[in-house]
Amino acid sequence: MDATNPALISSNDRNRSARRQLIAVRIAQYTVLTVLALIFVFPFLLMVAQSFMTQEQYVQGALFPTKFTLFGYQTLFTGDENYLSYFGNTMIIVAFNVIAMPLASSFCAYSFARLRWKGQEIVFACVLSTLMIPGVVTQIPLFLMFSSWGWTNTPLPLTIPTLFGGGAVNIFLFRQFMRGIPIELDEAAKIDGANVFRRWFSITLPLCLPILLFVAVGAFGSSWGDYFQPLFYYTDPTKYTLAVAVYKVVVLDGVKENSIAMAAGVFMSILPALIFFFLQRRLIDGIMVGAVKG
Amino acid sequence: MDDIFSTAAPAERDDLQPGAEQKREKQPFMTPVRKRKTVGWLTGFLFALPVILGILIFTYYPAIQALISSMKNNDEFAWFYNYETMFVYDLDTWQVLGNTLLYAVVSVPFGLVVGYFLALAANFKIKGISLYRVLFYLPVVIPGVASGLLFCHMMAALDSNGVFNIILNALGLGELSFFEEASTSMVSLIFMGVWSAGGSMIIWLSAFKNIPSTLYEAAKLDGANAWDCLIHITIPMSTPLIFYNLVTGVIGALQCTTPMVVVGSRFGVNGGGAGNSIYFVAVKILNEFNLTFYNYASAIAFILFAIVGVFTLILFKTSKWVFYGEEK
Repeated sequence: MDATNPALISSNDRNRSARRQLIAVRIAQYTVLTVLALIFVFPFLLMVAQSFMTQEQYVQGALFPTKFTLFGYQTLFTGDENYLSYFGNTMIIVAFNVIAMPLASSFCAYSFARLRWKGQEIVFACVLSTLMIPGVVTQIPLFLMFSSWGWTNTPLPLTIPTLFGGGAVNIFLFRQFMRGIPIELDEAAKIDGANVFRRWFSITLPLCLPILLFVAVGAFGSSWGDYFQPLFYYTDPTKYTLAVAVYKVVVLDGVKENSIAMAAGVFMSILPALIFFFLQRRLIDGIMVGAVKG
Repeated sequence: MDDIFSTAAPAERDDLQPGAEQKREKQPFMTPVRKRKTVGWLTGFLFALPVILGILIFTYYPAIQALISSMKNNDEFAWFYNYETMFVYDLDTWQVLGNTLLYAVVSVPFGLVVGYFLALAANFKIKGISLYRVLFYLPVVIPGVASGLLFCHMMAALDSNGVFNIILNALGLGELSFFEEASTSMVSLIFMGVWSAGGSMIIWLSAFKNIPSTLYEAAKLDGANAWDCLIHITIPMSTPLIFYNLVTGVIGALQCTTPMVVVGSRFGVNGGGAGNSIYFVAVKILNEFNLTFYNYASAIAFILFAIVGVFTLILFKTSKWVFYGEEK
């Protein structure tokens, strides 16, 4: 644009050359995007393709299934321990956590963001310090504790702890976000006689929508994909979650039929992909909020 | 009312109990300020109580249990016996620690850089861009173990019809050993991270969105080019996000297991890859746990905890470069 001198070119010409330039830029942009998309989508397409391949084709390294087989999917969805029942098991945990995690963490964050009480800084530091403790440190004692309570082979170890704070990161994110909401709203509600629960639930929470959604999607992701914890707690194959079932097919059974593992992978990818597709704009809005205000 | 307030003025705090105002007028003979303070403290404490209980029951108590267990040997208290074993006798330890540190230090910034360039493309203001974003994000939704399996297959040798090697060979670039040899395993693993750049793409996109466009307009008027804008506007304005992701990313990478278990178990004993070149601390702990060496596994877990702690401390101590905007 800088090259064209407006004084020498009539407005009509200028429009035309600007449009031509715009088209060139568009073509370049679509080319870049398409090349990138091909690179990024390749593993996913390969997974889908392999889920329809016979073992023979897979070993030959085919990219497209020339002989379609539904063997993988048939194996997944027939029989007593099929993936639909695993899906059901998973959804119980996912549904609970998706609701409980944002509520629990916003509840506790309200205490750190809006209420003043002696010792809150120390408690908040203690909460954040738990981030540094690796999951593997606490895993074995937790397993022993939960099994002494008779919680193995139930969804309880994967759901009930969520009620207790909903995760340090989430409390942190909510606290940061709540600090950005004008405190006058809270004060006005207080003058109008709203008690502290109402001020949390009816005043603050609706204003936290972007971060609420972000935490809920995070809760979905962690409950949906986690195989590490359920692997400890589930010994009964009928109670497995999807992630454990896939882990078992791939790692423990050593993949005798690749199409089964890939079909399981496809099945497990559908829901997260849909969620990302529909919520991407809101997620992008939600991420920044936690980090902007220090 | 004024009398009460004047004596209590220094202790004035935000009132948290809506009913407190009426109560105070009814009972002026008590010490209403103290009562109000107690109620206020209690409200704040009760709101935080779930998480206080949560970290005590589900984090600190088990962590202390693990610490005690790490100092035991066959149910007998043995002080630092396990730690001594780890650093003096166990030949894996240094390699495992080195691998884990290398992976964390390289893969996290690498992921952020790749994600940045991906986000540049995903930020084009053109039709269909949200579809492209989904396509870029798709590899992230593949379950970890399945993607480990896929990449093993894609990075296989030419004889085993590995897709990457077929492409490389067609381009006349020869053949790469990827996970088959110790020297290329770590690089391959980090290279796999390219396909999970969709996650950091989202973070960058939200960073771009939150930078006021007036900054760029002003810079353009001053004759800044794209590179100047990146160095002097985009990156400084995104530092809080970069910092947050460095911290969580490094903590996560230090504990990483998923694709390695699959990749590692195919090309080596113990899930450590060829020549234990991608043997990680978390995988080592799992192995010791599976061999029922609980005490020893706990000891290694505590070394991992120490490393995570040191890294977090370093990141926070060197966080002067993080720009949080003007304080209001």
